[in-house]
Amino acid sequence: MQPFLKVDQVTKRFHKVVANDRVSFDVMPGEIHCLLGENGAGKSTIAECIYGFYKPDEGTITVQGNPAGLTSPRDAIARGIGMVHQHFVLVSSMTVLENIVIGTDAARPILDLKAAAARIREIGRRYDVDIDLEARIWQLPVGQQQWVEILKALFQGARLLIMDEPTAVLTPQEARRLFQIFREMTADGLSVILISHKFDDVMQSDRVTVLRRAKVIGTVNTRETTKEALTNMMVGRSVELRVKRDEHPRGAPVLEVRDLRAANDFGTEKLSGIDLTVHRGEIVGIAGVAGNGQGELFEALIGARKTRGGSIRLDGADITGRSPAEIQRMGMGYIPDDRFADGLVGDYDIQSNLILGHHRREPFARRGLLQFRAIRDFARKAIEELEIKAPSETTRTRSLSGGNAQKVIVAREFAQATKVILANQPSRGLDVGVIEYMHERLLEKRRNDFGILLASEELDELLGLADRIVVIFKGRILGEFAAGTADIERIGLLMAGQETAGKAEEIS
Amino acid sequence: MGLRLEPRLAPSARWQAVSVAVALLAALAVSALLLESAGTDVGVAFAAILDGAFGGLRTTAKTLAKATPMILTGLAITVAFRAKVWNIGAEGQLFAGAMASYWLYTLTGPALGMALLPLLFAAGFVGGGLYGGLAGWLRSAFRVNEVLTTVMLNYVILYLLSFLLVGPWRDQSSFYQQSERIDRAAWLPDLWAPGKLHLGFLVAILAAVAIHVVMNRSWFGYEVKAVGLNARAARFKGINVERTAVAVMVLSGGLAGLAGMIQVFGVNHRLESDISLGFGFTGIIIAVLAMLRPGWVVFVAILFGGFENGGIKMQVATGAPSAIVSAIEAITLLFFLTAAALTRFRIVWRST
Amino acid sequence: MGDLFTDTIVISVLAATIRIATPLILAALGELIAERAGILNLGVEGTMLMAAFAAFIGAYATGSTLMALLLAVLAGMAMSFIMVFMAATLKVEQVVTGLALNLLAAGMSLYLYKAFFAVEGQAMPTVAVMPVAPIPFLSEIPYIGPILFTQKVLTYVALLMVPVVWFFLYRTKYGLEIRCLGENPKAIDTKGMSVSLRQYGAVMAGGALCGLAGAFVTIGSSARFVPDITNGRGWLALVIVIAANWRPSGILIAALVFAFLDALQLQIQGIGVQMPYQIFLALPYVLAIVLMVLKSRRGRSEEPARLGVPYFRGER
Repeated sequence: MQPFLKVDQVTKRFHKVVANDRVSFDVMPGEIHCLLGENGAGKSTIAECIYGFYKPDEGTITVQGNPAGLTSPRDAIARGIGMVHQHFVLVSSMTVLENIVIGTDAARPILDLKAAAARIREIGRRYDVDIDLEARIWQLPVGQQQWVEILKALFQGARLLIMDEPTAVLTPQEARRLFQIFREMTADGLSVILISHKFDDVMQSDRVTVLRRAKVIGTVNTRETTKEALTNMMVGRSVELRVKRDEHPRGAPVLEVRDLRAANDFGTEKLSGIDLTVHRGEIVGIAGVAGNGQGELFEALIGARKTRGGSIRLDGADITGRSPAEIQRMGMGYIPDDRFADGLVGDYDIQSNLILGHHRREPFARRGLLQFRAIRDFARKAIEELEIKAPSETTRTRSLSGGNAQKVIVAREFAQATKVILANQPSRGLDVGVIEYMHERLLEKRRNDFGILLASEELDELLGLADRIVVIFKGRILGEFAAGTADIERIGLLMAGQETAGKAEEIS
Repeated sequence: MGLRLEPRLAPSARWQAVSVAVALLAALAVSALLLESAGTDVGVAFAAILDGAFGGLRTTAKTLAKATPMILTGLAITVAFRAKVWNIGAEGQLFAGAMASYWLYTLTGPALGMALLPLLFAAGFVGGGLYGGLAGWLRSAFRVNEVLTTVMLNYVILYLLSFLLVGPWRDQSSFYQQSERIDRAAWLPDLWAPGKLHLGFLVAILAAVAIHVVMNRSWFGYEVKAVGLNARAARFKGINVERTAVAVMVLSGGLAGLAGMIQVFGVNHRLESDISLGFGFTGIIIAVLAMLRPGWVVFVAILFGGFENGGIKMQVATGAPSAIVSAIEAITLLFFLTAAALTRFRIVWRST
Repeated sequence: MGDLFTDTIVISVLAATIRIATPLILAALGELIAERAGILNLGVEGTMLMAAFAAFIGAYATGSTLMALLLAVLAGMAMSFIMVFMAATLKVEQVVTGLALNLLAAGMSLYLYKAFFAVEGQAMPTVAVMPVAPIPFLSEIPYIGPILFTQKVLTYVALLMVPVVWFFLYRTKYGLEIRCLGENPKAIDTKGMSVSLRQYGAVMAGGALCGLAGAFVTIGSSARFVPDITNGRGWLALVIVIAANWRPSGILIAALVFAFLDALQLQIQGIGVQMPYQIFLALPYVLAIVLMVLKSRRGRSEEPARLGVPYFRGER
């Protein structure tokens, strides 16, 4: 049988960085083909090349036996390739229908949305996807937004669907549903390229191509391999993903959240009565699908978001309604999920970012003036201690890699916080090495009797680190699990909002 | 596919310098074309501009005097733009400062003599600062776009001025909309009388030094820049973004207000709409060309002061309208923006 | 004060309202299209000013209204070309670019006017003002006729443009794409469609409308050109877009409110009520600030999410 897609010796460089180095693999009709690799291994880059978004510097991409010469997504779409990006590219204020129709031939100069709607409904029926076409995107849960993206591709006649980290935003149950849809599609002869670093996804594919440092390590049949073998191929050594969490007695409550309510920037309620306690010397994990209020919760805790009700106590003191400056002074540190947008001033150098928050204080400032020598000394020490890879303390943080940028934030927050550390997705997008380092430092803070609140989309991370795991869904805490008793299946059901699922195991 | 721009990883200093020079040359070339099209002898015109700007000690001193309000408005814009607070109202704040100081003068009269000067300076700063602060407050409290409010406030204060100058502050002996002449005792003292250089120039230079220190050495400047570069991160780390924006507008308006006071008591010696020749707007060009650096603001403002005076000389010498100067300034700004953008990118020619 | 409310006066104020609203509607619609495409064009004032000057030159040189309008539209498009080139291609800070355009227009129009027209000692040059073109039959309807249908052609065009722009933005594929640019340009890019091409189209179409608005300020209303003749109307257009919550119908209403205020003050001045005229002149600008404050307290804003934010493809 002829492969639907053949990638042959494709090389792609950004400036001098080689993102893909002579990458080759093929995808058969009706196949789910997984691209596996660490962050930065070049998975997304090769996908964007196949989708025509990036132009390969060398090599060829063949679709159904014909050299594709893809220079634009338009060419890729015309040849039956569709892509669902990790961060959906939807217009949230527009309807599902409008989003699907943009840029297709259904959009004649004057829009004929009725005919398009009928066709979309037909596709939806075939794959058992039911969605309100008149709903606006912002009204839909993330799982359904993904369906919109898939419908977008299918509506344009995609025969090959590239899915970039599709399960990152899904509950385990939603992920299973997604794979059902994939199976129905492959039964119709469609192909799927699945980009992932999660083994649960990988093991459901037909074949796996493993990428490491821009190169293909090999392609194997999924049935004939194991997680361990794949891990070995992916990182070049076998890693024990579990971190060592020793026993440590927890102390008095240090962060107490009661019935906390808050809205997002548009006035929609995102926190509907959060109850949560973190003790000294304890890591509390928050499991949940992104967008269920995690961001708003952290922002409310650091005082950057107005609350509509409830109370927050830090080490016994009521901090509800206090300013971020006051709350930080009282001992709270925060590692935000979006490092460059929320955690750093990208155009400031490393040393300026390291003092952010303490920039009015001795020894960094005296009589209103900054003390550059003290700042520099502090920065040099931090760079050395955390092994931040940068030419000097005056390097702009914008030019740092994700891992080094994260280290700058960690260095700052760990130096400033005295009681509580909040961490929102601290290992997102980082290499295994940096993640391990992050985890060790968090456990070290736990040993030093800090209270730590950690949100993560990676359940493995929470299971490995947290003493307790709570599940957040639509702005409420649905269940709580002690480290030993947590089970992925139940957590997953709670993440999807099925409240009854966890009741039996709840230990509150 | 043609021309495409890719961000450079590190803007090279050499290219930055080259492109700025090219921008200036391009602006000169366009100005030459403009003059040529009106039948003006370009060589004569440029020579006249240069001569009227820096030809001799006395003209140079006059240039410095002309540059004085522009240094201050340039600094005003610098402070605001650093925080990405788009203050387009330096012109209005200049008038607010002028009116506040004149109002104080009408209350005290010239009797206090030199002791009055510090008070007048303070009044100018406060007047401009309050007017700027109003826009800052509207931005922080109601999230109203400060570009539009400051523009609107520019118009409002000009009508207020006009109302006052035909009403309570009117010079009865004159046909024009202007106040009575200020008593000589309350004038800004001269630094060098033949060049009409007054104390205001020194104040402007001191202000530039102060702003340099504030922006680059103090935690306040650190916060202002942090807010401008990433307001979200700044807020998360405890910087009060709203309060900073108001403070920035007060400082910015205050600097512009000083310019207004200096024009009234140092140059025009009366309150009238002619105290500003659009200095609030020229300040925008100056600040951007100076890349928001106080030291460079002084340099560019003096250059522009020379332009303004040279333009008048050119009009006398060739008959070409001195309005060419504001056209040249704006064209330079556009070319500079282009050049500055190009240093941030690499131009890539892509074949299909 | 009873004089204010006679039929003739009411009709004349309302007719003046429609007339005065003309450039505001045109400029605000033009700006709306640009802003929907994600480009904050603060150069409206300057674009209008250059177009006003171009229309004046056209009328002066050729005597033809059509030529004058054509020149004004071209001038508007040229100015907005600079805007979109800087914003979409060079990714320069849009606020600064818009301001630069205003300063450019102020300087250039003044210089060119003085260099070519305002010759010392001669009378100021004048052009023929567009005549009123009553629409047959409709203009004879009592009240409505003299208010709505006894206007200049450009006024009819402006009123017509409100539904046209609405239809364009909400019922055509181009409009859908343009609105998409203001919200999430990547959705266009990932479909293999050019983001900047569409932004050029939107901003320059907007510039053409601004050009018509500028033309109305000179050849539509005044026989002479004076420096800075637009006198803040472009800035008011920007305020109108906000007050209208980025909707064409709202633009019509907001523009009429501002125009009514202006028409009223003209009327009051005309009958010689003793009040400082400066108060009336300042009123639109005060009202603009008040409207923006009120707007900020209203619920969900239709402001394009990516307004003023340059689009980068994210290729490292």
